[in-house]
Amino acid sequence: MSARIRTTVATAALTAATLTLAACAGGEPEGDPGGETVITCATCQESPTDPFLQYNFEAATRFNEEYAGQYRIEMLNNANAGSSEDRLQYYQRLALADDLPDLFQLNSAEIAALSETGTLHDFTTELDAEPDWADSFQTGAFDALTGAEGQVWAIPQQRDPIGTYWNTEAWGSVGFETFPTTWDDFEVGAEALAQQGKLALALDGDWATMLTWTNLIGTQPGGVDFLKGEIGEGGDWSGNPAVVAATERLRGWHTAGYVNSDAFSGEFSNAAAAYLSTDAAAVPNGPWFVATNLQTDAAAPGLYDSTGYALSPGWDAGQGVIVVSGAGWVSGATDEASLEAVGAFMRFVTTAEEALTQAAETGANPAVVVPGAELASADLEPLSAGLVIAAAEAEFTYPHVRVFGPAGFGPAWKNLWPAYVNGEMDTSTFLSRLSADATAGA
Amino acid sequence: MARPAARPNRARAVPTTAPRIPRGMRGPVLISLLPAAVLFSVFFAVPLVVLVGTAFTDWSGTQMAFVGVDNFARLGADPVFAKVATNTVFYLAASVLVQVPLGVAVGIVLAMKVPGWRALRTVLFIPFVISGAAYALIFSMFYNPRFGLLNNLIAPLGLPQRDWLYETGTARWAIAGTFVFILGFVIVVTMAEITSIPAELYEAAEVDGATGWQQQTRITLPLLRNAIGTCVLIRLLADIGMFDLVFILTAGGPDDATATLALYAYRAYLHGEWGHANAVGLVILLLGGALIVTVRRVFRIGERDR
Repeated sequence: MSARIRTTVATAALTAATLTLAACAGGEPEGDPGGETVITCATCQESPTDPFLQYNFEAATRFNEEYAGQYRIEMLNNANAGSSEDRLQYYQRLALADDLPDLFQLNSAEIAALSETGTLHDFTTELDAEPDWADSFQTGAFDALTGAEGQVWAIPQQRDPIGTYWNTEAWGSVGFETFPTTWDDFEVGAEALAQQGKLALALDGDWATMLTWTNLIGTQPGGVDFLKGEIGEGGDWSGNPAVVAATERLRGWHTAGYVNSDAFSGEFSNAAAAYLSTDAAAVPNGPWFVATNLQTDAAAPGLYDSTGYALSPGWDAGQGVIVVSGAGWVSGATDEASLEAVGAFMRFVTTAEEALTQAAETGANPAVVVPGAELASADLEPLSAGLVIAAAEAEFTYPHVRVFGPAGFGPAWKNLWPAYVNGEMDTSTFLSRLSADATAGA
Repeated sequence: MARPAARPNRARAVPTTAPRIPRGMRGPVLISLLPAAVLFSVFFAVPLVVLVGTAFTDWSGTQMAFVGVDNFARLGADPVFAKVATNTVFYLAASVLVQVPLGVAVGIVLAMKVPGWRALRTVLFIPFVISGAAYALIFSMFYNPRFGLLNNLIAPLGLPQRDWLYETGTARWAIAGTFVFILGFVIVVTMAEITSIPAELYEAAEVDGATGWQQQTRITLPLLRNAIGTCVLIRLLADIGMFDLVFILTAGGPDDATATLALYAYRAYLHGEWGHANAVGLVILLLGGALIVTVRRVFRIGERDR
C-alpha cells in the first residue's frame, strides 16, 4: 500500500473515529456566555394524550419564562416519558452511561431500583436547608420516595386517594343509595346486578385489578403492614392469611360473573369501556379518570352526573383507601450549577399555585398543603375533592401494591393471574409463584 | 492388490486472480468501504461479540463476573425455559406449516392471472407490511371475549364463548392463528419465481396431454424448490425472535403458555440479569444457525436441478 493510500485511509479512519466519539459523548451541563444554566428534562415534552406530561411541558415553559437568562429547561423528546415496563431499564442504561437527564419522573418502585445505581440526586440537603419548603408537603408525601438511610430520592408530584367510581343509578336499582361499605354488601349488590345482566365491577388484569386486590388486603387486620413492608421483603406471600383471603375473594368475583370477561388483557381501556358503556356499575381508578375518561365522548350520556366516587368497602372493621404519593421528580444532575437549577424548578413546581394548576389540568391532588381558600377557589373536580375529604375518615389508609412491592410485580401478576382465575393453579401455588417471580433478579 | 479405481479426471484448477483495483482507485475504494465496515462493526460485530462474551457472565449492568456455563445450566434446569422453548418451536412450525403451503398455493393461483389477481395480490400483501404492533391490536379486538368478532361469529353456532388469549388451552393456538394472514411475502416470491419458469415446459406438457393439475404439481412445484426453501428460511428466521405480537397480545401469559424465547430474554433483561438474557440470545443465535444449515440442505437452496 502506497504512502498516499495509507495517509488517506488513516485520515478517513481518524475522521470516522472522531465523529463516532463525538456522537457518543455524554452531555455536559450547558451554559451560555450570559450565564444561563441549561438543564435537561426527559418528562417535559408536549403531549396531547397524557395530561401529566402536558402539564410538565407547560410548567417548564412557565419556569423558562420566569427564570429567563438564569435557568432554562431543555425539553427532551423521550419515548419512555410515560409509564411503561421498560422505562426503568431505559434510565438504568442512561445511569450506567453516566448520562441521566437532569430532571425526570419515575414511580416509587422505579426510584427504589434506580437509586441502587448511585446516580440519583439526594434532595435531603435542599429540604434540610429550607424547612418551610419541607414542611409545605402533605404528611406522608415522601414515604415511598425515601431510601433506607433516609435519602430523599424524589420530590413528590401528587398525593392522591384512589377510590372506586360507581354508577349511582345502577347500584340504586338494586337498593344501594350509597356504595356498599362492606365486601359482603358489595357481593349482595353484585349478585343482584348480575341478575339484571349487569356487571358489578370493571377490571383489567393489571392496574384496576391490583387496586381491588390492594383494597381487599388493606382493609383486613395486618393488611396495611403487608402492603407497607412484607410485600417488599422477598418472602412467600402464600403464608399471609390476609393476602390469601383477598386473593380468593377476588377470584370468586370473576368466577361468579361479577367482573367483565375481558378483564385479563392488562389494558385499562377494557375496564374503562365496561364502565363507560354502563355495562359495569363500578371501576376503581384515580382522580385522573374523570378528565381522561368520564368527561369524554366515550362515556354514556349522563354518566358523569350519575357517578359517585367512594372509599373501598371493608371486611368488618371499617372502610379503607389507597393513598398514592408514588410519582416524583428525580434528578441525575451532578454539577453544582445544574443542581441549583433543578432545585429552583422543584421549588417552582411545588408552589401552591403550580400545585393547583396541575390539579386542575390532571385531576391529581397536590402533594403540598394548599390553603383552604385557594383550594376552594380553584374549583377542583368535585368527585375528587369529595374523596379527599372522605379519605380523612377512612379506617384504613395504605399504599398501592406497587409502591412497596418488587419492581417485577406487574409482569408477574399479568402472567399468573389469568391462569389462577381460570382454575389452573391453587391459591398457594399462585401466591408462591407470584412472590417468587415478582422478586426474580432483585 | 487391487488397484484403486481410477479417479475421474479433475479439471485442472485454473489459477484465478481477483480483479485488480486500478492503482489510483485503491484509496477511494477503501474509503467507500469504510462506512459499511464501521456500520457492520458497530451494529453487528461488536454486539455479537458482547452477546457471546457476556453470555458466560453474571452481567447486571453494574457488575460482571465470569460464571462459566452457569447461565446455560440455569436455563436447562428452568421449567419455564423449557416451556418457552417449546412454544417457540410450536410457533416456528405453525409459521412454516401455515404460511408457506398457503402462500405458495395462493401464489400459484394468482400467477395464472385469474380475474382480479393484481388487487388480490395487493390486499394479501397488506398484512405483511402492517407493523407488528398494529397487527397485534387488530387481533386483540378480534379475540376479545366480550365484544370480539370471533365469539360473535361462533355464538350462533352454539359454540362456547371463550377468552381465547387468556385460557391456557387456547392461547397458543390463538397466537398461531394470526399467522394465517401474513402470506404476502411467500405469495410475491412464488409469483416472481413462476415467471422465470420457461413457458416451453408447460407447452410441451400440454402437448403430452398433461392436465392443469399435473402441470402445477409436476412442473411448477418442483421448480419452486429454491423459492420455497428461501421462504421457509426467511419465515423461520423472522419468527425465531418473535416478540411484539406475543408481548402485545398476552405478554407471554397465561402462566407462560404463549411466551417465546425472546420474551423470556426480555424478562431476564427487565430483572437486570443481562448476562442471563444474553445466554438466551446465544441460544436463539445457535438455533437460527442450525435452522439455516438444515433448511439449506433440505431444500438444496442455491443448487440448480439438472
